[in-house]
Amino acid sequence: MTSFDSTKVAEIHRQLHAHLPSDSALRVKALESLLVEKGMVTAETLDAWVEAYSEKIGPKRGAHVVAKAWCDADFKARLLDDAASAIRELGYLGNATAHLKAVENTATVHNLVVCTLCSCYPFSLLGVAPNWYKTAAYRSRAVRDPRGVLAEFGVSLADDVAVHVWDSTAELRYLVVPQRPAGTEALSEAELAKLVTRNAMIGTDRDLAAQPGEGA
Amino acid sequence: MDGAHDLGGREGFGPIDVNEPEVPFHADWEGRMWAISKTTGQPDWTIDWWRHVRELIDPVDYLSRPYFDSWAQTQIAAFIDSGVLTMGEAISGKAEGALHEPQPALTVDEAVAAVSSQATRFDQPVDAPPAFSVGQSVLTASAGHSGHTRLPQYARGRRGVIHAHHGAHIMPDKSAAGREEAEHLYSVAFAAQALWPEANRNDRVFLDLWESYLEPAG
Repeated sequence: MTSFDSTKVAEIHRQLHAHLPSDSALRVKALESLLVEKGMVTAETLDAWVEAYSEKIGPKRGAHVVAKAWCDADFKARLLDDAASAIRELGYLGNATAHLKAVENTATVHNLVVCTLCSCYPFSLLGVAPNWYKTAAYRSRAVRDPRGVLAEFGVSLADDVAVHVWDSTAELRYLVVPQRPAGTEALSEAELAKLVTRNAMIGTDRDLAAQPGEGA
Repeated sequence: MDGAHDLGGREGFGPIDVNEPEVPFHADWEGRMWAISKTTGQPDWTIDWWRHVRELIDPVDYLSRPYFDSWAQTQIAAFIDSGVLTMGEAISGKAEGALHEPQPALTVDEAVAAVSSQATRFDQPVDAPPAFSVGQSVLTASAGHSGHTRLPQYARGRRGVIHAHHGAHIMPDKSAAGREEAEHLYSVAFAAQALWPEANRNDRVFLDLWESYLEPAG
């Protein structure tokens, strides 16, 4: 039975701090072998989850959604109205995306997503979050100094372009829909998807290249 | 709780590693920990309890140890609290108590399907109508409390405007204490200058806040 007792858990943390090996890899290796020995999970199942999030589930899904929105006005309208339903059409609804909000960049608005309290991220759509998204540096600064953060990522904004920062404090998750680059009228949806960077869907990238592989 | 995890607006953490390689895991143990957390959660844990267990890590450890290391310590502490593991088992790495029936192994396709099946909704119907409407000015609570809460310190005692209403969602302060009760949830827009005077006058910060964090602004 779970206690929901903060004082009890704080004491457990102090004992773990005193007795667990300091090395993170050793900690996790010992935890895995213990859980496997107790029959709570198998190593093969853990292998499958690692492979699922390494090979199958990642930012290519989000890029597909964005490219489809660029090409299909009806889909874009559905995405902006109810993003969870829209991504369900593509089979991407899942862990941490049941309440999803798509926020669209325009010539006068730039959107940036953060979770200042933990590390909330739309896993089934964008995969595992980048490490920088989970650092104290990003979490502390994205709300207070978003333009400084953007400058470090190479994004410079005119003063009159408004930054909208979305702090994921509830179970809503956010997808930034970047602007379609000029000069891409001839590209297919699949080609357009290759232009959409992971960072653009978080908001730390803005001006996408018009050809895959060109640095923005 | 007013812990080290409540980082919004804190200063001194320095630049961001913008050249981090774009890979899901930067070491094998990170992937193993991710997978453990996705497969071994207990039925009576709530997402808010898990977050609170993570917040209760010693603040020096919270800020200095690797990210997925904090997931390991959270998972272990929550297992011990729930009686799934003993402290002795966690420290020795050897099972002492009863063993479970071994779980069948999942394939990659089954893991991908499981991700789809984890589209957990947090909204629930409530009888009470929403107290606020879109466009209304609100004032956030000025104080927090020692349990789990999702009103960050930087947005306490500040004026904002209701940007959207999302129906009623499970209230995290209660869910972290083992009680699932829903309350109306709103996206609230704050002028960045209402939070930090030095901010650009055009910028806004949006937070998703529950009704009991808010009162009407005069």
